[in-house]
Amino acid sequence: MDLLKVPVLGRFLHWRHARTALQIPVFAISLLMVLHGLFGPDLAPRNLATTLTWVHFRGALVLVLLVAGNFFCMACPFMLPRQVARRLFLPRFNWPRRLRNKWLSGGLFIAILFAYELFDLWASPWWTAWLILAYFLGALAVDSVFKHASFCKFVCPIGQFNFVASTISPLEVQVRDHAICDGCGTRDCIRGRREPENPIKVTQRGCELALFQPLKTGNMDCTFCLDCVQACPHDNVGITSRVPANELTLDTRRSGIGLFSRRKDLAALAIVFSFGALLNAFGMVTPVYTLQSFLAGILGVRQEAPLLGVIFMLFLVVEPVLLLGLAAWLTRKWSGSSRGILPLIGRYAYGLVPLGFGVWLSHYSFHFLNGLFTFVPVFQSAAARTGWAFLGEPRWDLGGLPEGATYVIGMGFLVLGLIGSLMVIYRLAESELVSRPIRAFAPWAGVCVILWLSALWLMSQPMQMRGTFLAQ
Amino acid sequence: MHMPVGRSQGVTGSRRPASILAVLLILVGCQTSPDPADAVSIEHEVAPQPLHVGVSTIDLKLTDAAGDPITGARIHLEGLMTHPGMRPVFNEAREAGPGRYQSSLEFKMAGDWIVLLQITLPNGQKLERQFDVKGVLPG
Repeated sequence: MDLLKVPVLGRFLHWRHARTALQIPVFAISLLMVLHGLFGPDLAPRNLATTLTWVHFRGALVLVLLVAGNFFCMACPFMLPRQVARRLFLPRFNWPRRLRNKWLSGGLFIAILFAYELFDLWASPWWTAWLILAYFLGALAVDSVFKHASFCKFVCPIGQFNFVASTISPLEVQVRDHAICDGCGTRDCIRGRREPENPIKVTQRGCELALFQPLKTGNMDCTFCLDCVQACPHDNVGITSRVPANELTLDTRRSGIGLFSRRKDLAALAIVFSFGALLNAFGMVTPVYTLQSFLAGILGVRQEAPLLGVIFMLFLVVEPVLLLGLAAWLTRKWSGSSRGILPLIGRYAYGLVPLGFGVWLSHYSFHFLNGLFTFVPVFQSAAARTGWAFLGEPRWDLGGLPEGATYVIGMGFLVLGLIGSLMVIYRLAESELVSRPIRAFAPWAGVCVILWLSALWLMSQPMQMRGTFLAQ
Repeated sequence: MHMPVGRSQGVTGSRRPASILAVLLILVGCQTSPDPADAVSIEHEVAPQPLHVGVSTIDLKLTDAAGDPITGARIHLEGLMTHPGMRPVFNEAREAGPGRYQSSLEFKMAGDWIVLLQITLPNGQKLERQFDVKGVLPG
């Protein structure tokens, strides 16, 4: 299937201004969220900033990634002011060579997770509004100074989440017929198009994320901006269906990325993505208080920041080092693999992504589906505050799906995640040890089962919205 | 838990910069005269303690500026979680004695809750108050 050949939708996506047309309404909603966050009610359930960000945006994001692809990056509102700014002046610098990796953005992703817990971002319209503003300002600042899509590729934490998760997506922007590319001499999909009389002036951008379509493999780093679709003079780029997660098993040289197995930063991002899913869900259930109280007791610390720091270290460093280190050691011992411990971890870490995505899906879809219609009364209330009572009295009784249903759906996502991870790991093991892949598969499958059981246990715990553990 | 609820109590937003608060105070101060509803004092008690997931009783005491009980008020209660997207719970309070009102709310999830009170005084005047119910434990 090629989405660009679907009637109406394909025509729309082919339209030169399709991305902008998607960005404008999202930008308008973001503006509303910021205004409501700064000047609206302080109660998180009554504010658009918190309700839309922490319930609807996150839930819709993971579900769209699951059923389609990285369409949230396509409609990203943070790029709109940047596009306007680039009409006025062009950036002069290239992104620093040392920072052309995922270490910075991975660190920012952890920082966002940490700030979410420390500052109770879900409960604060004020801080949520500032977070959205910080994204706008960050994107504008970075891309005003540095050329290409530096913010998307090297800075944006949401973008990195989307890139990793979109490896599971069923759609990919890719070449339709490689034979046509073989005969192409212009390479407009990456170079872009320029005015013949004035070659400095770009009339159509090529890929700003350095993904050369004929050598592009998978969704990593692709924002679905469709610049390549617009630029290709042969109409040879489509949004086509594929086998989800298959790209995680491939170790071919990818344009703009290189080999997955050589990218320690990408492997680390995949690990943070997978273990971070459990960490983020762990913060939502009752046992987190027991752990925090226990740590407070043995460390003699009452401040939340250092205790959270220890929990983050446990989840994102100690646990991965122990589990993945042991699995790599067992792989070497059982299969006789000649790879070192770190290269093995760097290869198999991608196998955890489907399971990690299953945990994110389970968590975020719970909030999304439970609070599906809660944005309606918040909109009604916000409109009434500004004198627009035409939306009627706020229906505060509106909720979403019953908890029992969302629980079952969440469990389904966990099962799918485990199956996906096991399949990817088996394929990786096959490429590692053709004759007896089971020997390389077993240790990593064991890690997946341990993580899956942890997720199952987490999701079956009584939910507890956080905030007061140290006061108890 | 037994504490009087004032107009400023329980309202989140203390993190906002003082400058913005000052501007707002000036604007509000320039435009409004003292609201008689400010003189209404509300005390609440939530039981049984410690609170667990399930039904809790909420006792409210309304007094006027002179400390006299306010009878004949109508009170609508709404329980909200601090996390957005969770379905709120509702109830009405019934008058259990002079100035004393009783209701119950079913706290369906562990964690922090906020209770909003929409009060209609006997003279028809409406006011809203809120108080925090922190640390509801699992059932």
